[in-house]
Parts: sequence; structure tokens; C-alpha cells
Amino acid sequence: MTSESSQSKGLSSGSKAVIAVLLIIPFIIYLSLPTYNYRYPELLGVPFFYWYQTLWLALSAVLFFIAAYIWERGR
Amino acid sequence: MLGIAGFITFWVLFAFFVFIGFYGARWRKGNLAELHEWALAGRRLGAFLVWFLIGADLYTAYTFVAIPSGVFASGALYFYAVPYVSLTFAIAMVFMGMLWDRSKLKGHITAADFVQEAFNNKPLAIAVALTGIVAELPYIALQIDGMRAVLEIMLEGVSNAAVVSEVSLVIAFIILAAFTYTSGLRGTTLGAVFKDILVWIGVISLIIIVPLSTGGFSHAFSVAAAKKLATGVYNLNPAISLGYLSLALGSAFALYLYPHAVNGSLSSESRKALRLSTAWLPIYGIGLALLALLGILVYGSQKAIALLSFFPASERGLLAVPALAAAYMPSWFAGIVLLGIFIGGMVPAAIMAIAQANLLVRNVIGPFKKLSPKGESDAAKWASVVFKFIALGFVFVTPLTYAVQLQLLGGIIILQTLPPVFLGLITRKLNGYALFAGWAAGLISGIWLTLLANHFSVLTTSLYRITGTVQTATYIGLLALGVNLAIAIIGTLIALAIKR
Repeated sequence: MTSESSQSKGLSSGSKAVIAVLLIIPFIIYLSLPTYNYRYPELLGVPFFYWYQTLWLALSAVLFFIAAYIWERGR
Repeated sequence: MLGIAGFITFWVLFAFFVFIGFYGARWRKGNLAELHEWALAGRRLGAFLVWFLIGADLYTAYTFVAIPSGVFASGALYFYAVPYVSLTFAIAMVFMGMLWDRSKLKGHITAADFVQEAFNNKPLAIAVALTGIVAELPYIALQIDGMRAVLEIMLEGVSNAAVVSEVSLVIAFIILAAFTYTSGLRGTTLGAVFKDILVWIGVISLIIIVPLSTGGFSHAFSVAAAKKLATGVYNLNPAISLGYLSLALGSAFALYLYPHAVNGSLSSESRKALRLSTAWLPIYGIGLALLALLGILVYGSQKAIALLSFFPASERGLLAVPALAAAYMPSWFAGIVLLGIFIGGMVPAAIMAIAQANLLVRNVIGPFKKLSPKGESDAAKWASVVFKFIALGFVFVTPLTYAVQLQLLGGIIILQTLPPVFLGLITRKLNGYALFAGWAAGLISGIWLTLLANHFSVLTTSLYRITGTVQTATYIGLLALGVNLAIAIIGTLIALAIKR
């Protein structure tokens, strides 16, 4: 009756792997600082560094929502 | 100073806010003499309301005042708040989901309840509870500073402004304490919805109106670039990369250890509601990113800079967003935006005080003195009043600039509860006393490094330069957590060896 077992009830290992990947993607994106620490291309005068990270907030929400949906499907 | 129309909209909406705060007691009526009814709103909040409530935890004076202030004063480094708010919700999806399951099963209402159950170790549970209580205090003080920043901008030019603003703060706090006492988390949740509507109106209109009236982002960025802000303007100064990433990661792990975030999560009606609302919370962060950019936009806004010049240089950053609202919006509308920022400090302060009160009653007093359900609830109600006024005391003893740094210290402190809480959810193999030793070592090393980094003087940084160079500047919270984890693991191995 541990939380771990009720957690995994009804989840295939494939689903678990997908959830893990979806949650880890933003970590990889944000921790790769040298890939986005640039001024150009600008968007409406806002440097890339700022708008790219802000855009990833919206993308994170989409990834997390898909993860939550798979996780809690059928509940 | 704000025109008369602004004062009218501010106070009328404030009166409405107070009304819904008290009305909360009748909303979804429950027996408020029971602690979980008062403090967790009976665990009946659906995905939508949990989104607002936890959003209210995130969208605090930290967002309106501290982060734009950091960007204004220091540059790109303070944009770390954006990766932080994405990553923190990935962490919450995993750990808060597990904690919710466990708490539903065992009737927990705090993280310390869980730690007591998982490790059956009173000193450890009490340590976790006390750490939570202490770490919230500077965070509440920061909320009050946000409220104070609003009052200072509103009253600029008024004679006796300092006295009027202090009296207003005390009155606002008495009202807040009264409605938290009577309606608990229900009142603050309704207040959070109202606050968020005002905040979103404010953020969206500011980010459109300010660039349009000042020559746009390009102009503001070029003025800011000419000021050569220390950590970069167009992008981050690469030398401080480690500092940026460690602040983002450390803050992301810290948020859901704070008692108010745990409290908000556990008030969810189901795990599904909790996970779905958490998944959408990064959307909230977009508002935070826009507000952070206002810290740069101020540089392109002569009217706001002129207004700020009436204040001491050390306070200007904190006043940046309220000043933009007062400078570029019609008075009646500025009143609405300023009220959003004002109750944007009040609502989180209430949620934090409720969470502290829970911990004190359940996990610090509880183990020594058995209270009846009604006694528990009464004690928590009074404790929430007392904690609010302790935090209010900060306002009269610390100048505006210090509270932001105290909040970063709060993060260093609360991170030391990560091993028993988060690791405790994954494994029961760690030894309770080893975790206690790790907690103590983490706290001591965190505080010691903070003192060293600030040369035993005023708190100005939460980054420690490991080898003395800026390239190795790392968030002290993570360094201390490393010490904590090392001791906890070594201690557990020793305990296992002795048993054999």
C-alpha cells in the first residue's frame, strides 16, 4: 500500500517512459544555456534570450498537460 | 502621485476584496472548527481553483517587485525566474502527486506529518516543521514590502506619506488577519481568484501600453545597454552561467518544499485535479516573464524614471512596476493595477501564515500536547494572526532593499528539508537520524557560506564563488543541499553497518 504502488497502478512501462521524457525535456532545454544565450534573432525588439525562454513556458505547459493526461487517464 | 480617481477605484475594489474574504466562510460550507476544513478548505478544490490558489503562491510580490527589481538593477541574471517556473512544475507533478496520495491515505495536512509517518522520528519531523515556519517569515516580509511599494507610489508627494503608508499597512493587516481567522483557506482562495483577474488585466495592459508609449523594446534595451548592467542586457553575461542555472534549479526544487505550496497542493479534491492544474501552471509564468521585462522597459520610460527619481536609489528597482502603472495609465485604471499588486502581496501572505500555523499546531505543539480537533483549529487560527504580525514587524525594522535577499536566504533554508520530504517519498531506506544530521549540516553550511559570500556584512548575494572567480559563483542553496545529501547518505551507510 505504498504511494509508489498506487502511483503506478494501471500504467504500462511504456506510458511511464513517455511521462518521464515529457517532464525531462524542459530540463534539457533550459539547462542548455549556450544554445539560447544570444541576442538575435529579436522578436518585436525583444532579444532571443528572453523570448525563447518565455516561449518554452507555453511549450512546457503543453508537454506537462500531455504527461498529466496519460498519468491520470481513466480516473 | 495617483489621482483621485485612482484612489477611488483602489479603495472600492479593496472593499470588495475584503467582502469576498469574509464571505469565504459561507462558501462550500464546512465545519471550520476542524483544522483540515479551515486550512485545506476541506480538500474540495477542483483543478480550476487549485490553479488559481497555487498560481497565487507563485504570483507574489516576488514576481511584481523583486524580479523586475533585480532585472532593473543587475540585468539578465534575474531572468532565471523563467526557467525556474517551468522546471518547478515538472518536479511538482511527480512529488506533489505522490504526497497527495499518501496524505489522502493517512490524513496528513503538512509535509512534516508525512516525515513523521515515513521515518517515525520526532526530532526530524519537528526540524522539518520549524524550518518551514522560519523560511516563510522572510517570504511574508517580502509580500509586505510589495504592498509598501504600492503605497509609496500612491502617496508620493503627500505630506506625512511615511506615516500614512505605515498606518495603512497596519490597517490592511488587521483586516487580513480577521478574514483569515474567520474563513481560512476558503476566504483566501476566493481572494486569489479576484486578485488574479486584476493581475492579468494589469500585466497585459502594461506590456502593451508601456512599449507603445515609450518607443518600444528596442529603445528600452539600448538605453539599458548603455548603463552596462552587471549581468548583461541583451543576453546573459556568459561568465555568470553557473549562477543563472543554479539559481533556476535551486529555486525550482525549493518552491514545493515551502509549507504554503504543500498546503495548496493538498487542498486539491483529487490527484487528477492536482496534476492537471499543475501542468498548466507554467502559463502563469508567462506573466512573470513579461513583468521581468518591465525591469528593462523602465529604462526607456522617462516619466517613470522621473517618478523614481523622487526615491532613494536603493528603492527604485522595487518601485519600478508600480511607477510604470502610475506613469502611463489613466488614474482610475492605475488604481486597479496597483490594487492588483497590493492584494498580490496580501493573498500569498495569508496563505503562508495559514501554512505556518498548521505546522506549529500539528508538528511542533502536537507531539507534546494532545489537542482536541477544535483546540487544534483554534490554536492554528490564532497562530496565523501572530505570524502575520511577526512578519509585519520586519517592515518597521528592515529597509525595502533587504527583504529580497532575505527571501533568497529563505530558499537556502527550505532546501534543507528536501532529503526527508522528496527522497522520503521515493525510498524509506534512509536513516532518520542521518537525515537529521544532514539537515543540520546543510543549514549550518548554508548559513556559513551566506555569511562568507557577503563578507559578514549586509546581505547582497546568495551566490558563493567556489574558487573565488565569478565563473564558479553558485547558488548557496544547492551547495548546502549537496553537503546535506552527502551526510544523509554516509550516515545511513554507517547506521546500516552498525546494525549488521
